[in-house]
Amino acid sequence: METLGLAIDTTFDDTSVALLRGKQALLANVTLSQYADHAEFGGVVPERASRKHLEVIHPLIQRAMAEAEVEFRDLDWVAVSNLPGLMGAILVGVTVAKSLAYQLGLPLMGINHIEAHPYANFLVHGELEFPLLHLVAAGGHTLLIHQEDHFKWRVVGRSVDDAAGECVDKVAKMFGHPMPGGPVVDRLAMAHAPGPYDFPRPLLKDPGLDFSFSGLKTAMLYFLRDHGPRVDEGPVLAAFFASVAEVLTVKTVRAARQLGVSTVTVSGGLAASRRLRGAFEEACAEAGLTLYYPPPNLCTDNAAMVACLAAYRHEAGLHDDLTLDAHANLIA
Amino acid sequence: MTNALAIDTTSEFLGLALMKAGRLAANHYEATGTEMNRSILTVLDDLLARAALKLEDLELIAVARGPGSFTGTRIGLAVAKSFALVQGLPLVGVDTLRLLAAQGEAAEGECFYAVLNCVRDEVYHAAFRWEGEGPQPLGEIGMSTLAALPELVEEAPVVLRRFPPEQPGHEESLAKLNRLPLRHPAPDCALLLSEALRMHRAHGGRPLPPAEPIYLKPEAFRKWKP
Repeated sequence: METLGLAIDTTFDDTSVALLRGKQALLANVTLSQYADHAEFGGVVPERASRKHLEVIHPLIQRAMAEAEVEFRDLDWVAVSNLPGLMGAILVGVTVAKSLAYQLGLPLMGINHIEAHPYANFLVHGELEFPLLHLVAAGGHTLLIHQEDHFKWRVVGRSVDDAAGECVDKVAKMFGHPMPGGPVVDRLAMAHAPGPYDFPRPLLKDPGLDFSFSGLKTAMLYFLRDHGPRVDEGPVLAAFFASVAEVLTVKTVRAARQLGVSTVTVSGGLAASRRLRGAFEEACAEAGLTLYYPPPNLCTDNAAMVACLAAYRHEAGLHDDLTLDAHANLIA
Repeated sequence: MTNALAIDTTSEFLGLALMKAGRLAANHYEATGTEMNRSILTVLDDLLARAALKLEDLELIAVARGPGSFTGTRIGLAVAKSFALVQGLPLVGVDTLRLLAAQGEAAEGECFYAVLNCVRDEVYHAAFRWEGEGPQPLGEIGMSTLAALPELVEEAPVVLRRFPPEQPGHEESLAKLNRLPLRHPAPDCALLLSEALRMHRAHGGRPLPPAEPIYLKPEAFRKWKP
């Protein structure tokens, strides 16, 4: 009998609730994005994010239950992302999940949001064969993760300063685009050729697997300063994104070779970019690697991926008790 | 209304109270600081077991909705709203100044202020009149500095609680206030129960205003640029 689970994610500025039967039958995945609420500040204000989560989480749970046509008594488990992210924001999701699990007498699971990102691929493509190399390009993190089995993973490469997604958002902002900058940059990168422009590819020649994007961000700032506001935005941002995509693909392929892994997955908000997806399809085909990619709506923060990882944890009996806490960092 | 639960997480104290068959069955408070998120449900589970009560037996949930600690207030409300949603129970939110006012030893008909320490030298304040069983709010909750308080309240008596650690340098302002004694030295969840029940009765079956947090302060103080 396949289980029915409810998962919550409030780690950053999106409130998301998902209902999953088994490991793949997604009955509901509702997400409320707060971008507009933070626009006046030009970035996410943690206290505002926390307030918004509490305001919308219960109506969102009700909406998800209605969409999935299930009742609380039908649930078998409850899961919540309890790290990493904004403490105050995570605490809302964690407290709600604990309260639901407690009163319904259900197993509770705290889920690592970053570990969950690649499970968007398990959700859509089914069981993947280990070992796997994951590139997780989420808002605050750009990580290469080597996974040998479920729940057995380690970070083999990470952003040492700005994450790729962060860099894209900030550069888009320099060019006068509102948050989130990813979709705008992606649209321009799809529509334009880089032309004569060529920007740095930080740490590309470095043999390690870490990323650095702050130098590229600064290069864009200087470019804007030197060329003024009348720059040809399309080709410039296309060239900028070509740098980002090349660094990500080259480092991912390098990591796969070094670790002897033949299957690669890409996930996280930046993975929603069609231009990046194209670059990965090309790079992986050339390197003889199998590539798994989730649909764009499962790349950005969502509770569906959290539910999928939770379904695996539930099957393995990996539950948490009611003292489950929130943690800001990737490793608790 | 006979079986009820009260939750107050607005200060550094975790406060929980239970009413069973109209009588106080548990009144728990402990200084947990930021740990209350970890312990709230295990403590509640223990209190329910000792009172031989189940969540399903409850008929009302009372929750302190601030002003107070932002994160703390959200924890209590997240629990209370989740219980109310699943159990289909009425949820009554009571502001923390009303709870403090209920602790004051005021005379019938007496007008007074309840004053709660916010951060540094800032205080929340609200005016009340004692009517029969408890305080009736006379206006909105305001904010001021402790130094400006004596002028603001004029000669009216004040029920005051300051969260530790005591702020130094404000003894002069405090000395000017006509302070009413407190019935209870710490936040008292039994009073949250009785105030919530009073509010519920006063509404006579009409729907209560939604139990939303009271923050009073903005979530950001200036615009920033990356």
